[in-house]
Amino acid sequence: MEYLSLFVKSIFVDNMIFAYFLGMCSFLAVSKNVKTAAGLGLAVIFVLLVTLPINWLLNTYVLAPDALIEGVDLSFLSFIIFIAVIAAIVQIVEMVVEKFSPSLYSSLGIFLPLIAVNCAILGGSLFMQQRDFMNFAEPVVYALGSGIGWFLAIVSLAAIREKMAYSNVPPALKGLGITFITVGLMGMAFMTFMGISL
Amino acid sequence: MNAKLKETLLNPIFKNNPITVLVLGICSSLAVTVTMKGALVMALSVIVVTGVSSLILSLLRNTIPSRVRIIVQLVVVAMMVILVDQVLKSFEATYAIDKQLSVYIGLIITNCIVMGRIEAFALGNKPWPSFLDGVANGAGYGMILLIVAFFRELLGSGTLFGFDILNRFGYVPNNLVILPPFALILLGCIVWVQRSIQKDLQEK
Amino acid sequence: MNTNSNIYTVIYTTVIVVIVAAVLAFVSQSLKGNQQANEKADTISQMLTAAQFGTKADFQKMGNKAVLARYAEEIAEAFTVSPDGSRTGDIALDEVFSPSLLKRQNYNIKGGQNATGAPELPVFIFKNGKKVVPVYGAGLWGPVWGYIAFNEDNSIAGAYFDHESETAGLGAKIKDDPAFQAEFIGEKPSLGESKVFEIVKGGSPKDTENKEVIDNKIDAITGATMTSKGLEAAINTWLGAYSAYLLSATPKVEEEVPAEVNEEAVEGEETTKTVEE
Repeated sequence: MEYLSLFVKSIFVDNMIFAYFLGMCSFLAVSKNVKTAAGLGLAVIFVLLVTLPINWLLNTYVLAPDALIEGVDLSFLSFIIFIAVIAAIVQIVEMVVEKFSPSLYSSLGIFLPLIAVNCAILGGSLFMQQRDFMNFAEPVVYALGSGIGWFLAIVSLAAIREKMAYSNVPPALKGLGITFITVGLMGMAFMTFMGISL
Repeated sequence: MNAKLKETLLNPIFKNNPITVLVLGICSSLAVTVTMKGALVMALSVIVVTGVSSLILSLLRNTIPSRVRIIVQLVVVAMMVILVDQVLKSFEATYAIDKQLSVYIGLIITNCIVMGRIEAFALGNKPWPSFLDGVANGAGYGMILLIVAFFRELLGSGTLFGFDILNRFGYVPNNLVILPPFALILLGCIVWVQRSIQKDLQEK
Repeated sequence: MNTNSNIYTVIYTTVIVVIVAAVLAFVSQSLKGNQQANEKADTISQMLTAAQFGTKADFQKMGNKAVLARYAEEIAEAFTVSPDGSRTGDIALDEVFSPSLLKRQNYNIKGGQNATGAPELPVFIFKNGKKVVPVYGAGLWGPVWGYIAFNEDNSIAGAYFDHESETAGLGAKIKDDPAFQAEFIGEKPSLGESKVFEIVKGGSPKDTENKEVIDNKIDAITGATMTSKGLEAAINTWLGAYSAYLLSATPKVEEEVPAEVNEEAVEGEETTKTVEE
């Protein structure tokens, strides 16, 4: 029950995009059509699901005060360790995608390596550290939930943007401007989930 | 200062603003724009990080093995961010602000402006212009941050830098402005204004 | 020189990582003292604020040294107690409980798999008789904690709260809004009962003479239901654990709790389901 609550909360209430603005760069840049957006969304779910538990293990058994050696606090290294793990995992994902799905690889283009600097991924790890999860299952559930939340957000924005191509937007607002405002309105819709208690 | 350097310095602030034109670095920024103070400290931190890491990586640019390029960049940027975080924590004056910014200081690492400028500029240019480019992009980012924070603090709390401005006239702070979505709407409006003035930026 | 050979790549990466680690270790070590001093001064100024020796902003302006000096001047004794009210140990007068220590004690109070032992709850007694005790719990986004000061008759003398990442302007008001903290002053928690304290909508009614009703309730923050609830849970957990000590340490005085007012205010509770933040 606790896990279900964490899962739903991380998808809707603590949504990476709408509650924290994390992963905005690729979110805005790759949301022009649904197919590419879904591809990137899946990649984010996958990378979060792999990196977050690894970083949790590192944080709990190596970086936390007194974890490795009594009296040694390595937590100042956490940023660098987290980002190194993330970069390495992304490199692996990139190679795998290139090998098995060249079409996905070419459409994701530059944004696959950019997952490494996708704030949602590092943000996930930093929030994990801040919330200090107690056992191995919690970071896994949290990663899955946040990933799905991010996926939902980017796919729905892409769908809206596809339809928006047919609407009459003021020229100065076209593209980036109206996208910002759309995301803002979507964020407000997502805020309604905050009142639910699970 | 010659014309080219000047352009390097001024371009990112207006014409090529990293947020409103290049769409970089929105991630970690908007959550810190609730107060001017937070936005200012964040802006300065980003300026320091982009400037110094551009400088370091530009100095190293001919020695970096291309295969581990991204990792080396990340390590240098992460180092700078940790340094900034540690320094902010250790001064009495900035301790409270660092506490308020919490994870968002750490997220400067993944601020696309930093990595984006290193990839696009620092790795192909001499150290001094790279440093200026980094500083200028950080400043362009900081400017947007401060504009957004100005409206959000003024309308959302009725104050600026914590000083009472509107409340004394019986203004009731608007909670909507403080919520995250409003920052995006505000940003959309800034883009709208900028593109109405600079018509060449408009998307077809 | 071939910058793409394997050996070069490996050596290069190793050198960079070693240099970076060395720089960071050095900086972190040399700044650690300052950081801890800042954290300690921050914690102390929170306790002093709770005990109404000044406002948090004043203490911030005073600087660390002056805050520590003021604390040394005012503090009488500090010790830990167990939930059954007995004293378990002493705390040195220049020591404080950092939020991370509070977190550990929070697990100990609640028991379960994360507990590391029996709870040792810190009590700080000031020379003017005020007792300051901490509370700790989970808000909407992250931990919330704070200090509550008690008068000798166990009414609240003041409170100060802090948080890690509540929404600025809404949940963050527990820290930033002096009016919210001032609401605690004078209220009387029902120590020893199952519901020690309540933070509810309309929880602070005025009586016919427009005076604050003394009860165990205060008004929740509009738009920050989850933060208010989290803080309420934190206060209940911690004051629950302190009840035995606080009741035993109090000289018996005539109680004059207006019982009928308590019940009236409970009815307002149903209307609190406001959308959070």
